[in-house]
Amino acid sequence: MDRLLVVRCPELLEEDEGGAVLRLFIRVIGAVETYCPWITAVRPGICSLPARGPARYFGGEEALVGLITDVTSGITPVEVGIADGLFASVLAARGGLIAPAGGTREFLAPFPMGVLGNPELAELLERLGIRTLGDFASLPESHVLGRFGADGVVCHMVASGQSGELAEPGELRLSTTGRRVDQLRNGVPAAAGQSGFWGGVSDTDARAARALAAVQHLLGPDSVVAVRLQGGRNPGEQARFVTWNAHETPDTTTVHAPWPGRIPPPAPASIHAVPLPAELIDVAGAPVTVSGRGLLTAIPSRLSVERCPWTTVTAWAGPWPTDERWWSRSHRRSARMQVVTDANAHARLLLAERGRWWVEATYE
Amino acid sequence: MFVSLADPRAGIALTRETSRESLVILAERTRPISSSQTRLLPVAAPLADLFPDRSLRRGSTIVVTGTGTVGREGTTGGGTVSGEISLALALLAQASQAGSWCAAIGLPDVGAVASHGLGVDLVRFALVPRPGPVWAEAAAAMIDGTDLVVLCPPFPPRPAMARRLIARAKERRAVLIVVPGRAGWPECPDMRLTIDAIHWDGIGSGEGYLRRRRMTVTATGRRSAARPVQQQLWLPSPTGSIEGTASTGGIVDAEIAAAESTATISTAPGRPR
Repeated sequence: MDRLLVVRCPELLEEDEGGAVLRLFIRVIGAVETYCPWITAVRPGICSLPARGPARYFGGEEALVGLITDVTSGITPVEVGIADGLFASVLAARGGLIAPAGGTREFLAPFPMGVLGNPELAELLERLGIRTLGDFASLPESHVLGRFGADGVVCHMVASGQSGELAEPGELRLSTTGRRVDQLRNGVPAAAGQSGFWGGVSDTDARAARALAAVQHLLGPDSVVAVRLQGGRNPGEQARFVTWNAHETPDTTTVHAPWPGRIPPPAPASIHAVPLPAELIDVAGAPVTVSGRGLLTAIPSRLSVERCPWTTVTAWAGPWPTDERWWSRSHRRSARMQVVTDANAHARLLLAERGRWWVEATYE
Repeated sequence: MFVSLADPRAGIALTRETSRESLVILAERTRPISSSQTRLLPVAAPLADLFPDRSLRRGSTIVVTGTGTVGREGTTGGGTVSGEISLALALLAQASQAGSWCAAIGLPDVGAVASHGLGVDLVRFALVPRPGPVWAEAAAAMIDGTDLVVLCPPFPPRPAMARRLIARAKERRAVLIVVPGRAGWPECPDMRLTIDAIHWDGIGSGEGYLRRRRMTVTATGRRSAARPVQQQLWLPSPTGSIEGTASTGGIVDAEIAAAESTATISTAPGRPR
């Protein structure tokens, strides 16, 4: 019989309709799994794992029980116990006990017959004066078989410490809980998720939705964003970041409309939300600016971004002046130019506004 | 499919005919999804030659680096500028169009128009721009639910953390694309794509504009990908997508460079290896 550690969450033993209990249980499993692999969801609220390896690693069974209790008790009240076999381990968890290895029969002896979960058998035995598992275990097996049949023998083997659990591990109830927990945790297995067999990719979509919800749970609802295209002149205006799940319909009408003065494609792969300050100088070291007529005052020679060392400008294009919203208070006069440095390797989109240069986007 | 017994002769002929048809339909419907299909994700044609399966292998980790990313720290500002993000986005494109979900973690400045131009379906593209200190947890959660994850770690990852993410991707059969940038990546990936020989076309001294960028991508990997493979790409091409140059492999001659600088489409053959 395996040495098993059982985590029992008394508040999560009954599933509710909305699945909140199962989700909480999954968090418990996740917390335990950060320390020990091979965790099995036995039924809602109860999970088990082989204790021998982790106990040796974490310095004894007491230490392991303490550790598991620490990591899970923040989520929900838990009871942790270790014993041989699943049946004894669950009982040990209920009492928060560690049963001695090999002493299952002695450990189980004081428990009442009711724990076997067979009321008929328990009632009958009680009328015969057999009230504890220890009494039951001391009956000869052949007599149990003759009087109580195969079911009785299974219970007898468990009570006498010869068998680890009442049901076979492959029993339906166990496997469905495990499978449902797995589904909730991992989504549908990846192999079945792609390219739906009978059409449709709803499985993949649902799986992704769960993952995104998990990240939002971790970082806050605004942390996950989607990006939508919209019409605009500047690279920054052509996209809009929306919080995931905001479900707004993208304003696609202006995407394909002409925007005179738009920087020609290809578009830069990085658009800086906050433009980076830059300096542009000519051969003599004097700053290069854009004149009121939209022309450069000198030929640019070197560029420095965010006060980093100077790099040599090998090519440039522009400036392309824009005079936006001249009719309103948000009137903006600016000019853009593309500057390539480092032997035509690195390209940036510079913005000149009020006599200063900014890196608006990088052609990464 | 079911024929009445009114006309036995016609019935037999009809049964044969229709049953053959329905068998064909049935065979088509119940055709097993081959293991290679579920094991692989499609990748854009110009990039296919870099991969031993001509596709992205599920569960693998790909690291995309530019040359000198680490040593360049002091020389240029403004993050990475050597095409890593463009290449990472280009890797997503084909699978994204085929219905896979993609996520980008730690890339606050991704250009939507560029992503769209490279072929990423923005409907199935989720961004976590600033994951902060819990970036690894966020990446792990994304690996659970999406097929392709681009990760740019904001902080240097510890080896154990990197190993755990690699294992997670393997277990969940996702593709993890790491753009290490300055943070670095301490683990050996299944495949490493290195960008080299970047050159922008179409721009001169105060004339023209940025039209396209040529780059050489070298793929090195483990096992079946151990032999380095080189591919020359236009990334982005004049339309913002990805294209292969006609010449692949080897080092670009001065003549080819000269031919390209006159902005003709390069059809010059590459120097044989």
